[in-house]
Amino acid sequence: MSRQSLAPQLEFLLQEIEGIRIHRKGPRRVRVDLAAETLPALLELLKGRAGYVHLSAITCVDWMEQEEFELVYHLWSYETRVLVMAHIRLPRDPGVYLSVYDLFKPAAFFERDIHEMFGLYFEGSPDMGKFILTEWEGPPPMRKDFDGEAWVMNHFNWQAYHPDWLKEIEAQGGGITTRPEDVRR
Amino acid sequence: MRPENYEAVNHPPSNEFELFFGPNHPGIEGNYALKVKLNGDQVVSARADGGYLHRGFEKLMEGRLWIQNIALVPRICVPDPVPMEVCYSLAVEELGGITVPERAQWIRVLQLELSRIAAHLFTFGGHAATTGMYSNMYWGVADRDQILDLFEELSGGRVYHIYNIPGGVRRDIPTGYLERVTRTLDYIESRLPDYDNLFFTNQVFVQRARGIGAMSQEQALEWGVTGPNLRATGLAFDVRRDDPYLVYDQLEFDIPIEQAGDAWARTLVRRQELVQSIRIVRQVVERLPHVGGPIRALIPNPLAWNLPAGEVYTRVESSKGELAYYVVSTGGDKPYRVHVRGPSAMHAVQVLENLTAHARLEDIAQIMFSLDACPPEVDR
Repeated sequence: MSRQSLAPQLEFLLQEIEGIRIHRKGPRRVRVDLAAETLPALLELLKGRAGYVHLSAITCVDWMEQEEFELVYHLWSYETRVLVMAHIRLPRDPGVYLSVYDLFKPAAFFERDIHEMFGLYFEGSPDMGKFILTEWEGPPPMRKDFDGEAWVMNHFNWQAYHPDWLKEIEAQGGGITTRPEDVRR
Repeated sequence: MRPENYEAVNHPPSNEFELFFGPNHPGIEGNYALKVKLNGDQVVSARADGGYLHRGFEKLMEGRLWIQNIALVPRICVPDPVPMEVCYSLAVEELGGITVPERAQWIRVLQLELSRIAAHLFTFGGHAATTGMYSNMYWGVADRDQILDLFEELSGGRVYHIYNIPGGVRRDIPTGYLERVTRTLDYIESRLPDYDNLFFTNQVFVQRARGIGAMSQEQALEWGVTGPNLRATGLAFDVRRDDPYLVYDQLEFDIPIEQAGDAWARTLVRRQELVQSIRIVRQVVERLPHVGGPIRALIPNPLAWNLPAGEVYTRVESSKGELAYYVVSTGGDKPYRVHVRGPSAMHAVQVLENLTAHARLEDIAQIMFSLDACPPEVDR
C-alpha cells in the first residue's frame, strides 16, 4: 500500500467513531474533536488498525473562562506517517478523567505531569504522586488562575539589602528603584 | 527532595537497602536523581526523581511576548539548544503564516547539524567517563569547543545562541565562515580514528557496554523511545526524513541503525550519526553560496504582534530524539499555552527506570549516558 493512499483510509477509519469531527490541518497533521467518552475507543482503533503505536505527547490546556480542560493526545504512526491530534474537553470541576496507560505506557509520565501542573486526576494511572514539584504545597501552577508573580509577592519578603557600595550609588540617584509597591498595585 | 523531608521507611530485616543516586553524582547527567533499591550491588528497582531543574518555562512563556520566548527556549536543553529555538520558531511561523526564506532555512540546517555534532561529542565524553576513560572526556569537551567557536562567530553566544527568530535568522553568516566550518569538520573527521581506537573499539568500553541496558524494538516502541535510542533497536525512524521540515528533503543522508538495542549499539548509532551530520553540513556549505535572497521574512512589529488564533504541533529531530512543541494561540501577543515534549521525558523517567531494574549498580551511569537523557527537558 502506498503512503499516499493511507491518508484517505485513515479518514475512513476515523468515521467509525460516533460524533467525530475531522479537520485536515496539513499533509501530515489531522485534528479530530470528539467526546471524552469515545476517546478510548478512538485510541484503540488507531492503535489496532492504523499502527498508531507512538503516543508523542498528551497536552492539557486550561480554558478557564469556559470552565473546561482540553486534553490533546498527539499520536504518530510509523506506517501512515500522519500525526493525529485528538482533542477532548472535560469540565474543570471535578477534573477527573480516565488513564490511557493500558494502551500507551508513555501516558504515565504525561498524566502524572498534568496532574501535578493542572490538578487533573487520571483514574487508573500507575502513579499520580508528585514528581517535579515535590516540595510544592500551593495550587497547581499551570492553571490559568494561578498568578506566579502574585504568589511571590505574597509569600516572600523583599530583603533589605543595603551594603555600603549600594548606599553610595543610591546617594547619587541610582540603585534599585523598583519597589514592590511600584510593581503591583 | 530535601534531606530534612526524608522519612526512612522501616523495612523488615533483609539485604536490601535504599541508595540515593544523585542529584549530585558524576554518574548522573545534569541535576537528576534516582532512588535505587539494592540487594548487594544488584538493583532491585529504581525510581526517577526529577524537579531539580524545574524553572517553569511553560508558565513563563505564557507571560511573555512571542519574540521574547526565543531567549527562554534554548535553556530547556543545555547541550543541544538549537533544536529548541528552531522548533519554537517553526511553531510561531506556522501560526503566523510566515514563509521562511530559503537561505534562512539552509542556515538553520547548518546550525542544527553543528549542534548535533557538538551534542554527540559531549555525550561521547560523558559516556566514556562513566567507564573511567577520562582522556576521552577531555577530548569530547575540547572538540565540542571547536563547534562552539563557530557558534560564537555566528551568533555571539557559545551555548545559547538566540539566533533563530520567527521569520528566519538574526544575521547572515560572516565572510569566510563556511571555510572555517569546513576546516573544523576536517579536524573533527581527522579525530574520528583516534576516537575509534580510544573509545568505540576499546575493549574496556565494549565489554562494559555490550548487553547493558538492552531493550528490544517492541519494548522501545511500547515505552515511547525515539531518536538514536530507537534506531539502535533496528527501526529507521527519523523526524528529518519521515516528517520533514526546513530543507531536509533536499539533503542526502543515511539513517544509521543497529540491532542490539544495548548501550554499545546506542553509542555506535551516535558515532555514525556524527558522520552523517558532517555529510549534511558539507552539503549545506556547498549549497549555501548559491542560495541568495533575504535571511528573514518581514514580521510585524514584534512588540505588538498578535498571532492569529490556532494551534500547532511542530516536531524536530534533536540529538536526543523527537522534540515537539505544541503551541496554542488565542489571537493575542503572547502564547496561550506552550507544551514542550522533550525526548528525555521518556528516556530519563520510564525507560531509565525499566532498564536499570536488575542491572548492577556500576552500570546505572552507563545506562543513563547511553540513553543520552537530558534532565532539563524532563523538568522544563
